[in-house]
Amino acid sequence: MKELLEELARRLVDEPDEVSVEQFEEDDGTIVLELAVAEDDYGKVIGRGGRTANALRTVVKAAAVRENRRVLVDIVE
Amino acid sequence: MSEIDKAQEAVEELLELVVDALDLDAEIVVRADGDVVTGTLVGEDLGLFIGRHGQTIDAVQHLAQRIVFHGRPSDLRIVIDAAGYRDRRAGALRRQADEAAEEAVRTGRPVALDPMVASERKLVHEHLRDRGDVETYSEGDEPERHLVVAPMLEDA
Repeated sequence: MKELLEELARRLVDEPDEVSVEQFEEDDGTIVLELAVAEDDYGKVIGRGGRTANALRTVVKAAAVRENRRVLVDIVE
Repeated sequence: MSEIDKAQEAVEELLELVVDALDLDAEIVVRADGDVVTGTLVGEDLGLFIGRHGQTIDAVQHLAQRIVFHGRPSDLRIVIDAAGYRDRRAGALRRQADEAAEEAVRTGRPVALDPMVASERKLVHEHLRDRGDVETYSEGDEPERHLVVAPMLEDA
């Protein structure tokens, strides 16, 4: 899931080398993925009305279903 | 490499990524037809890829468009499909649209449809335009934006 989010974000932004994803696990087993990108690239991963961010979450969640996990995607600035 | 070749390559790479992550047993077919690049998964058991009400396949399609266009204007269209899903969905949307139109005409009141993505709203709008007894318009904000089917007012 972490790799999937990283790879998707890298393809969306202008500065792929600046993409990073930190992974945490909460007490209830939920995986939290924190996505950070270059300052000027936030618009690219969030999109108009948050549509791109929602699309990223939807696809990462589908991957989590396969692993029977719950996942949260946070975009951190 | 031409714009269309680059688009096909990007769509193929994206679908490989998703097929891997979702552990799907599917073949990837990417085709260009005029200005439309279609990436299709062919295989069994693609429910996870399609998602509830097509949520996941539409998310992949949105990401594909953003990845290919990078916010630049383009004449290309990118479609992501799975084993006939778009055809089945278009059929279901036309049926819903016809039912809503009949209800609007019968009751004389506007009927709101379920939220749809822009391409689906366009399909329904164009489908109902030919009837001549209803009009359609969009209401609400994404992702809740939906069409309303209203009876056409008789000319005075």
